[in-house]
Amino acid sequence: MTTQITVKVNGVEHFLDVEDDALLLDVLREKVGTTSVREGCGVGACGACTVLSGGMSVSSCLALAVRYDGAELTTAEGLDETDDVVSSFVDCDAAQCGYCIPGFVLMSRELLAENARPSECQITEHLEGNICRCGTYPEIRKAVAAAAERRSPR
Amino acid sequence: MGDQVGRSRPRFDLPGRVRGLVSHVGDQPVGTAAHVALHRSTAPHARIGEVHVDEALAMPGVYAVVTGLDLYKQLGDRILTGPAFADQPGLAHEKVRYVGEPVAAVLAADLKTARAAADAVWVDYEELPPVYDLRDALDGDAYVHDELRPSSVFGDLKHLRGVRDTNVNYEYNLRHGDAAAARDAGAATVTGEFWAPPTHHVPIELPCTIAWVDAGRLEMLTTTQTPSYVRQTVSDLLDLPLSRVRITTKPLGGSFGAKMYDRLEPLAAALAWTTGRTVRLVASREESFLLTTRHGAGVTSSMTADADGNLVSAIADVRYDTGAYADVGPRITAKSGMVASGPYRIANASVRSRCVYTNKPSAGPFRGFGVPQVTWSHESLIDELAHRLGADPVEFRRRHLLREGDEAPMGTTMHSADFVGCLDAVANAIGWDQPIERGDGRVKRGRGVAVGVKAVLTPTIANAVLQMNQDASATLLISTVDMGQGSDTIMAQIAADVLCLDSARIHVVRADTDATPYDTITAGSRSTYHTGNAVRKVAEAMRTKLIGFAAQHFGADDVTLDADGLHHGDAHVTIPELIHGHFGARGATVTAEANYTTEWVPYDKETGRSEKATEHWFAGAVGVQLTVDTATGRVHLEHLAVAGDVGKAINPKLVEQQLSGAAIMGIGHALFDQLVLDQGQVINGTLLDYQLPSIKDLPDKLTPIIVESPHATGPFGAKGVGETGILGIAPAIANAVRDALGVRITTLPLTPESIVAALERSDPWTLEEK
Amino acid sequence: MAQLHRPGSLDEAVELLSGLDNAMVYGGGTAIQILIKQGILFADHFVDLATVPGLREVTADDRGVTVGPMVSIRRMETAAPPLAADAYRHVANPRVRNTASVGGNLAHGDYRLDPPTALLVLDAVVLATSAGGTREIPVREFFTDFQETALEPGELVSGVRIPNQDASAGYHFEKNSSLGENDWPCASAAVLLDDRTVHIGLGAVAPVPVYVTADIAGLDDQGAVDAAIAAVEPVLDPIPDVRGGAEYKRRLARVTVEDAVRRAWKDRDHG
Repeated sequence: MTTQITVKVNGVEHFLDVEDDALLLDVLREKVGTTSVREGCGVGACGACTVLSGGMSVSSCLALAVRYDGAELTTAEGLDETDDVVSSFVDCDAAQCGYCIPGFVLMSRELLAENARPSECQITEHLEGNICRCGTYPEIRKAVAAAAERRSPR
Repeated sequence: MGDQVGRSRPRFDLPGRVRGLVSHVGDQPVGTAAHVALHRSTAPHARIGEVHVDEALAMPGVYAVVTGLDLYKQLGDRILTGPAFADQPGLAHEKVRYVGEPVAAVLAADLKTARAAADAVWVDYEELPPVYDLRDALDGDAYVHDELRPSSVFGDLKHLRGVRDTNVNYEYNLRHGDAAAARDAGAATVTGEFWAPPTHHVPIELPCTIAWVDAGRLEMLTTTQTPSYVRQTVSDLLDLPLSRVRITTKPLGGSFGAKMYDRLEPLAAALAWTTGRTVRLVASREESFLLTTRHGAGVTSSMTADADGNLVSAIADVRYDTGAYADVGPRITAKSGMVASGPYRIANASVRSRCVYTNKPSAGPFRGFGVPQVTWSHESLIDELAHRLGADPVEFRRRHLLREGDEAPMGTTMHSADFVGCLDAVANAIGWDQPIERGDGRVKRGRGVAVGVKAVLTPTIANAVLQMNQDASATLLISTVDMGQGSDTIMAQIAADVLCLDSARIHVVRADTDATPYDTITAGSRSTYHTGNAVRKVAEAMRTKLIGFAAQHFGADDVTLDADGLHHGDAHVTIPELIHGHFGARGATVTAEANYTTEWVPYDKETGRSEKATEHWFAGAVGVQLTVDTATGRVHLEHLAVAGDVGKAINPKLVEQQLSGAAIMGIGHALFDQLVLDQGQVINGTLLDYQLPSIKDLPDKLTPIIVESPHATGPFGAKGVGETGILGIAPAIANAVRDALGVRITTLPLTPESIVAALERSDPWTLEEK
Repeated sequence: MAQLHRPGSLDEAVELLSGLDNAMVYGGGTAIQILIKQGILFADHFVDLATVPGLREVTADDRGVTVGPMVSIRRMETAAPPLAADAYRHVANPRVRNTASVGGNLAHGDYRLDPPTALLVLDAVVLATSAGGTREIPVREFFTDFQETALEPGELVSGVRIPNQDASAGYHFEKNSSLGENDWPCASAAVLLDDRTVHIGLGAVAPVPVYVTADIAGLDDQGAVDAAIAAVEPVLDPIPDVRGGAEYKRRLARVTVEDAVRRAWKDRDHG
């Protein structure tokens, strides 16, 4: 069965016909064109398909699209270069191949919205479900701390 | 010269990478392309009877179902491809050789339909005895291939053509002195049985290939590190001139050796060519595990010292499990075999290194190209030998490490390979000489080091074409593929430095075999040196051209180039003015080209030695301080330092990231990362079960250290670094565990279970003492 | 895939569940999607609870907290009693915890999940609703066999009631993986102890989550550890897999219990 849903992606409303079993990941890539949302594992274990729904992180590879009728979604391409998290990642060289990095950026946004001054341990706990195979973790950790500092200087 | 080399310039497209705006192959819209799903073998080794496709073909949305026999009828033996042996069919023909081997391809309107139809295919198999492990493969009488079929790529494999009744597709032997006699006469010998399991690269970007036919040409967009190789393979497969094959790439979302040689490309080309359709193949994560693996390898080895502590003998028997298809296994077998005795002055060395077929997914290149598996052996042995002799493991290595000008046991001389500098740097970083708080209860602390040596792939060829645009920006055409290592950035830095430009003004064109020139492969840490040299040369050629134009302009030969442009005495002209004036047009371009090729001396047939087996060496070292919880067996890394001699760091930040990234990948290999197979079937092939290092697995402190011992012929003295960091990680960690607990473990990974088991063994010594 | 039904009320949901052939509740959906992709889930109908109002509520009273089945695991990190909150905090990763639901986590019945260990200790009660009404199933009777629960066909988890935790008792949740740090547990234990009894919920070391107690009246900390280990010994029945053999998992279970008891002991004495 097909259902029409309305989702706001990065502030733009989209009216989409989606199959009942369509995954949010596929709908975003194929119907909305948000290619920063990527399939890496298909089982919620790598974080490359992360999106924010109402500010909350979601593995779009495990999410039924019909459930996101009316949702406000953010993907990494929706953040501009002056965004605290984006600019901190850039300044800390926190991307090598970069394929997984949009997922880390969104997880970091979620963390900082909940906790303005996360400890290193809290950063680690929040990002544990995202895999960077290039091994950019040290730079990512620095970038999140830098973003926190940028947002709310001590 | 300019000021671009030696600077940590950020990747030119970093903001785009962070926001996900860099496009990858999988992002390419494909319109009405056929989506392909594969029906895979359920048998490890069997003759294929009938392939039943009618049910699949009848499903709505299915365009075609293609079998190996269908391809064979059109392409004959050309369906067999591979870099060393032409042994791998895109779809199995006559026989299947591993569980998961593609048997039939379904082309359909969408992927879901294609996958459902692939499930509806069924196959009659006549089962053959399977060969699951190295022992069965070497001692049994079941053979994965009826006869060996070396490809035309490597002339030195020709003698293997048609050899039957063996699973050994290649054997490399090194004979230097009389290692057996020296061992028998020696004062102290340690012996070990080492095992490094198969692992998978798991780049987060999934492999994806799109192929189509345009005006009688086969064109392809694919996730590959080896566009020039793929072009040749497709040309051979379809019997087309190279000019009628076009391979294009985009930046890769990681690769580490996973996306090179024959992956999805030969099949995609065959399907597009034989059906006339645009086809799109993408591997799911589960399927990716079947595409290639790192070689599982067994090493039986010994190292001997005389009464004065001199190393007198090293012996190694190395077996690489290459799975169902040879891929580049024979090259790995030789290149790793020749360094199996380690970076040491050893008077006598003997190595036998074999590449062995089994009925499992094929193994191929993986960061380190087989060398981490032999490093696991020699760095464990020398560490244990030091302990036996009561010597300090750092000092003992230091005493024996090869120095500048030394000839390695395999016959090639050392240059720009500062093993001692690397070892000293990591030992110093982890405080090797400082007292260590051992821990007296459940948690014990230890330190360990390891040194690694690897040769760069030789001979290889690199080409570069440079277009200087009239506005003093430039376009660099090379077939090196940026997969996260930052090659586009450093190549721009090299060209910019020669031309006194800002490297941000140089655009590096994505590999496209219609436009970018031949480059052997983007692998084996070869690009900085080889392609870097081609880029340096092309920039020099361009500088010569510009100076020539300026000489005409000034009417004088005495011209210099700097960041402001070209000068003759007080007279000055900018590059835009010069090119505008020369051609009389804005937007004009000036083109230069250059080639850089390295040569080698093939291994001596008797001794396996070569006076020049490689163009240059990689030298690296690792130092670790860790604790082990003796109740759980869990290792905690407190500090890991990793050093690599890179000759000269073109971009220090990128070098550090290669070192630390390789270290993190190596931590996985040391502690938990392995592909587990049971009866030839992968049993942990999803990321719920397959273990990759997460941010939680980082050491408390990770210190990458750049060592610079300039290479005489490297661009600005530089060499590559992609693999250097990974070589010694596992043995350094195992050596630190040995230091902490007094137990020597010779099987990777060092899981808590294996550590607890080692502690509980009545005789904890796996390595025998003479 | 199966047909998706989106009921507007709990009554409608249970009616669909009993009326349709081979129907399954779709809660958070994280586990279901994985099982679908692995090709090992064969339902013809999914009854989606996302559209049913009132299933995301958390109600606290003086006896404890009652939680709707669609409340996210993530929310339980702050809404549940401390021991359960700790266990919920250890599930997978924050992103999965945002989507995965309390009800689905229970109904999944997986022996490795973290929350059941704490719910067993706290003597939580599962509310199971069918067309015939709602019944209460103590969590201690809920996990019946490998991947099986006491839910009858046509029943769904409509809530869980978690009693308040004795504030004077010490508690600790301990999780040990054997491979990567963020892997599934190889052994986990939730422990609550007062002066007389230690309550232990065990995960990953038997085909179902297991609950045991030991009498520790008059014992010192070492005595409590010994008593706890003696109590768990008979129920250890680990499934060997890539994360370890049975012998290692038994050993790790004992270490996990020991560490959890020691930390709970300290927690009780020092608050």
